[in-house]
Amino acid sequence: MIKKIVFAACIPIVLSSCVAVKGYEKVNINDPDMELSEKLCDRNITIFHSYREAAVGANGGKTGGGCGCN
Amino acid sequence: MVFGICHAQNQGENAGDYKKRVLETAEIDILSSYYSQDGNNAAVTGGLGTEELTDFTGTFVVSIPINDDDVLTVDAGISAYTSASSSNINPFDKGFADPFIAASGASQSDTWFNLTGNYSHSSDDRNSIWSGKLSFSTEYDYTSLGFGGSYTRLFNEKNTELGFSANVFLDKWKVIYPYELRPFAPGGRGLNDFLFIENTITGNPDYNPSFTVLTDENRNSYSFGVGLSQILSKNIQGAFLADFVLQQGLLSTPFQRVYFSDVADSFIDNFHLADDIERLPDSRFKVALGGRLNFFINEYLVVRSYYRYYFDDWGINSNTLSIEVPVKIAEKFTLYPSYRFYNQKAADYFAPYNEHLSTSQFYTSDYDLSDYNANQFGFGINYTNIIMKQHKLKVGLKSIDLRYNYYKRNTGLSAGIITAGFKFVVD
Repeated sequence: MIKKIVFAACIPIVLSSCVAVKGYEKVNINDPDMELSEKLCDRNITIFHSYREAAVGANGGKTGGGCGCN
Repeated sequence: MVFGICHAQNQGENAGDYKKRVLETAEIDILSSYYSQDGNNAAVTGGLGTEELTDFTGTFVVSIPINDDDVLTVDAGISAYTSASSSNINPFDKGFADPFIAASGASQSDTWFNLTGNYSHSSDDRNSIWSGKLSFSTEYDYTSLGFGGSYTRLFNEKNTELGFSANVFLDKWKVIYPYELRPFAPGGRGLNDFLFIENTITGNPDYNPSFTVLTDENRNSYSFGVGLSQILSKNIQGAFLADFVLQQGLLSTPFQRVYFSDVADSFIDNFHLADDIERLPDSRFKVALGGRLNFFINEYLVVRSYYRYYFDDWGINSNTLSIEVPVKIAEKFTLYPSYRFYNQKAADYFAPYNEHLSTSQFYTSDYDLSDYNANQFGFGINYTNIIMKQHKLKVGLKSIDLRYNYYKRNTGLSAGIITAGFKFVVD
């Protein structure tokens, strides 16, 4: 079920790859809260997740290094 | 970070008209966080014992424009923690030994240092970005050296962004074993050790663990990542992210105990003496596939969503789902309510306290590798000084971020983290 949801979410990305929003139309896209990366102030939260949870990666955080043993 | 830089470049459209600096002025970010957790499933004591831990982290990130095209970022961090479970690597140093009581030995606290340098170069048309990274971190029993690079290409009038990254981490352990197992290492005195002479063993008095020392002290990680982001409309953009990680070497933690159900139990005070240390395969392959979708609802409201599916060859698979809804309440203030759900299926090698069999090849009672789900609730506030009138010493405060997140697992572990971030720009 979850895989289907992800697949469905990816479809509009693929289909719209030919759409070009002009630079002067990107006022809203350029809003700092629209960034497609985690904010720097959330970095230590992501690190704590990588220590306490098995899953890492696909979030812009680190994917290796450190023991995470405490 | 590369995606962040690209975002900034989007603001400077029509690069052919003039060449805008990738970063106008130097920026300094100061981050700090305080983390606290508690639970009753410490891996150091074989899945039963206090998990109380506190950590304070301070980080400086300085981004310096070298010229119009290049940016050097230096990231230095220090993290100091105290851990009740780590203190129980030697629970016999003072007083009554008990997995739910912190001992007072040296292992109760440690300090972690990190230094990372990143250099990025953008092409004249701002459609290509190369970057290289070098990192080093160290703590008492662990050092890590990392290096890597990335390449990002923007096309379709900067509506589409495709990036590749590769990183290598070469880590080394200083192996520390549970205190009661050390007399059973080669050259040890076994039950003639001072520990067993000074203390009385209850339960099975013939304590004789089948303990062998580890031969590999290195852990190497190799990762490859792909990112594709796409502007979908004037108000929606999304990204697909994939990371593939191969780890080799010592992937277990040498001071984490394991207890076998088919071995008679031995105790000193209330402390169950280890049957063995955690044993895990020397290779692990991880795959993480994630997607982000951000919606600009109106000038007051943005919705940021994220989903990740993860699996590895240890039998773990997990789902992460998060949503954050920034609400602009005034020109300079934004609120950040957020929710995150996480679940995972246990590793093939996990079993709770005293449920492993001594005939198994691999075993762990680390609840970070167990079956569980977790909920996280967060709230934050951001202050952004857009005009920055109050410059002193040529340094101006650009923004302040404060966040609090509460994390709760259905296994009982709970944690809270407070973070504060200050961004300054230098004239």
